[in-house]
Formats: sequence, structure tokens, C-alpha cells
Amino acid sequence: MPEIMNQTHPHPYSRGVSIIGVGCTPFMYTVDNEETNGLTEGELYGYAALKAMEDAGVNPQDVDFYFHGEANPYAQSNYLTPNVQIANWFGMKGKASIHHSEACCTGYYAVELAADLIASGKYDCVLTGCVEFGDAYALEDHPYKREKLPMEAFLAKTKYLYERPYTRSLMAGQELIYDDAAEWYKRTRGLTDQEMDDTLNWMCINNRRNASVNPLAIERRTYEQLAQEKGFDNVMDYMRSPYNPKMGDYLRAGGIELKCDGAAAAILCATDLVDKYMGNKSHKAIEMLGAGSAACEATTPHFEVTATEEAVRQVYAMTGVKPEEIDVFYANDFIITSHLVAAEAAGYLPWGEGWKYICEGRTAYDGDKPINTNGGRTSFGHAHAASGLADLYEAVHQMRGEAGEGQMKKIPKTAMLRGYGGAQNICTYIIRTAE
Amino acid sequence: MAIKLEKVVQTFYENLEAGKITGKKCTKCGNVEFPPVYACNKCGCWDMEWVEISGKAKLHSIVLPAALSSKPEYKAMGKFAYGEVELEEGTRLNAVVRGINKKKRNELLEKGLPVNIHAAIWQREAGYKTVVFELDEE
Repeated sequence: MPEIMNQTHPHPYSRGVSIIGVGCTPFMYTVDNEETNGLTEGELYGYAALKAMEDAGVNPQDVDFYFHGEANPYAQSNYLTPNVQIANWFGMKGKASIHHSEACCTGYYAVELAADLIASGKYDCVLTGCVEFGDAYALEDHPYKREKLPMEAFLAKTKYLYERPYTRSLMAGQELIYDDAAEWYKRTRGLTDQEMDDTLNWMCINNRRNASVNPLAIERRTYEQLAQEKGFDNVMDYMRSPYNPKMGDYLRAGGIELKCDGAAAAILCATDLVDKYMGNKSHKAIEMLGAGSAACEATTPHFEVTATEEAVRQVYAMTGVKPEEIDVFYANDFIITSHLVAAEAAGYLPWGEGWKYICEGRTAYDGDKPINTNGGRTSFGHAHAASGLADLYEAVHQMRGEAGEGQMKKIPKTAMLRGYGGAQNICTYIIRTAE
Repeated sequence: MAIKLEKVVQTFYENLEAGKITGKKCTKCGNVEFPPVYACNKCGCWDMEWVEISGKAKLHSIVLPAALSSKPEYKAMGKFAYGEVELEEGTRLNAVVRGINKKKRNELLEKGLPVNIHAAIWQREAGYKTVVFELDEE
């Protein structure tokens, strides 16, 4: 923690909040496929929202309010008020909503915002959803056509994530997003360059293994398969080869997000009204225990680690949960180093030992300390705002024992999800299966 | 002191044009905000006064630029790195430090961090000056 870091001490919720339904589209490159080319914001968000309502056992008319998250509606969708434009698609015409963007952290704040609104007592049942066309932008003056957004064009736009008066001028904060966490981890834990490189590669391999058994993931070919196709007997030889080039000081290509399109949603309600809303649904509700949040703009040294430590401190203090009670951990890892540094900051992996767990495969879905069981941003995909709610969708399915081929060996009871993004917001929350 | 609607950013850049690197110092706790802002992030006081920083600093971390983390304009800086910089006044920030390449980084890490550096004024292509840091002469 730096010398100067303001702290917040959130109170427990005024009443219990539960997650009763989740929905998620496949993560996809919509314009690359005839079946998906031409899909619109209302269709993606609407699908995820209705799937969440169906899952919860509610009707759109039962829902009091909705949140709409999209990281970049202006550039990607030609919208300034995207929330207003889609309510008719899922039967909520006339109901109020709020749009929010915390860039890649949007889908995590989406859960916190809905929980806060219910806990306040104002509403009993809230929809929270996010949509993103991360891989395609809307054509001006056309009702549904889009064009592919190349990575270079996307990265050029990311400068708008950073503070204009000083950070962009000083030239450092916006560039450190790629490698600062790896440098910090390697230096503070005493790793060699080779150990750090192997750790980054193993995170990619584990993420992909998880995605390979997830039908909604955008990339399901394992690195072992890719290595074989290129004539490598050993997957790590492939990971260290020019097929996985260094793009940063430490970061290789495999450790960067697969930006794509998708939507996800959840229905939350007051815990004492779960029976009323869920009716004869057989699955258990998932209780939202609390959330911790922090933000450090990019001039702050080690912004990700610093803000994560503060957010984690808050959520543990608010909920009384101990790190050893967390059964599964999710971290937004559009830069793959995130899932290592976040898991250690949360105490999910022991300080200085996390890299060993990763290199031993213990953080894959069938290991004893699973992380990002859906494959994370480098394999499940990154539909920027929607990714956080896609992680919630996966966590809820794991906790219900409904994750199919990718089901963890032991059904998790308690999960922590750590959102990160938007140069840089952190939102961390803990959920637990209701007794 | 009354809260003032003040052009802090413009003044900061005009001071750079005049060869001065400036921040804001809290009159209550002495914390220096760099770059300058309205209020103190250490104690919350908004009674701040302009102060010229000494330029003396230490470098605590080193990340080298690469394909993803550089821009064509940055070539004019020669060899450089990004890192956590601590001003003599105590402020810490991410900044550019000139004079470091892979070989130099290895030498510096061998000797151990932190490394002494100093602030310098650098002309950006867009027509304004900014602050970078440079390694002190050994």
C-alpha cells in the first residue's frame, strides 16, 4: 500500500440481497459468422435478460428497474443513452433504468449497483445486464450492419481511458497496464525471468483448458492442440516460441484478451422475497454478501495491486468472510497477470506461492484452487462490459453444480469475483449459496 | 481559505515553458501533490500553495517499452523505461525515465533499486512540454 491511499469502510447491507437468475450469450465475433452478423444491442442484451428472468422464474413485469452496462456505447453502438433504447426488447417498456460504464469493470459494478439498490429498500427485484460489441462497431446511418474493429484501432481508442491533463502527457501510466503487475510480482517475490515467463504461460494454458469445456467460450482449442498442430511435442516449448510472441516487457500474445461481442445479465431480489419470486424453481438462491471497491488512476504506482488490496480489505471487513472460506475465485484478466496478483491479494493463493499453484495446474477447473473456471478473458473472451456478468453466470452455475463438463470437483459454496478496468476501477464481491 | 476556481493545469504547463517544474503543497500537512491538484490526498485539506519541486527523485521499478507499450513519438527519447518514481518531496507517481535499456536495467538491478534520478523538461510533439526523469550521473 502506498503512503497515500484513502480508505472507505462500507457497512453491511440494510437487508439481504440474493441472485436468483443468470443469463449469458455465447461470446462471439458476430460479424465473422453469417448466423450472428447483424445482431444488435437489443437482441444481445434482450436475450441475456430474458434468459436470466427465465432462470429466476420471474416475468419482466416482476422486475422493478434495470441497469445497463456498456463500456463504450458512443463509439461501438452510436448511442449516448443506450439503456433507454433497449427496454422494449425484453418487456420492460416504460420502466426506469440507468446506464453505467466502468469500462472493463462494468460487469462487476453491475452486480454491486443492483445489490445496493435492493438493499436500500427502494426496489425488490432488479435486472442488471451488460452488452458489448468489442469486436465490431456500428455503421453510421444503418439499422443493423457493423464492421470488424481491428485490435490496432481498438487500442488506439483505449487512450481515452486515461486522464487527459497529466497522465497522457506524462506517457507512463497508460503504458504500464501491460507489464507493471508482472514486474511488481517478479521483483517482490524474487522470481527469475524464466519463472515469471512460465507463470504467465501457465495462466494462459490453464485458462484455455477451462474454456475448452465451456460451450459459451470463444476459443476452445487447447494450447496442447495448437502446439501439436505446429509440430511441438511440449506445450511450453510452443508457449516460449515465436507462435506466442512477446508483446510487452513480460507479456506474450497469449496473455492478452480476446476482445469480442456478447451480453450477460442477472436478476437480483431481496432475500426475504426469494420464495415469492422464484416460485417452484428448484435451484438455490445465491446470496450477495457484500462488495468492496476502490479506484486508482494510472499515475498511481502499481494501480491494480494497490486498488485490489483496498477493495479486498473492504469486502472482507464488510462480510466477515475469511480468505480460507473462498472456494473459487474469478479475476478480470484481460492482461493475464491480473489473475495471479488478484488471487494473492485476496488471500485465495498464499503470498509468494501463487505462481507455483499456477505452474502446477492447481488453478484449472479440476484443480484444488480453481481460478476463472470459464477461461477468463484470454479464452472465454472479453466482451468488455459483459465479461463481469459472464463471470457471475459461470460462478452461479458452478455453485449450483450445473457447469457440465467444466464442473469443479467439489461444488463451491463461496466465491469471490474481482473486477478490474477503466484505468482503473476495482470492484470485488463475495457470494455464497443460500442454506 | 476560500476554494478557488483556478486554472491549475494551464499554470503547470506554463511553468514548464518557463523552465519550472511545479506542484502544490498542502499548507496543513505539508504533503506535495505532483502533478498539482486542488486538494491534498493525504489529509483532505484544500488550502494548497504552489511549490517548485527540487527534481531529485528515486526510481523504484523498471518496465521496458515493447510493441504494445510504446508509440512512434517516444523514439525521440532514445532509450527509456517506465517506472515508479519517488520525488524528494515524497510524492510517488508513474513516470518515464530516460537512459535505460535492457543492458542498463540489468546493471541497475544488479546494484539494486532504488536508483537516483532527476526530473527534466521534455518537449512533446503536440506542442507542449512535459516532465520526464533521467538517471543521475554515476
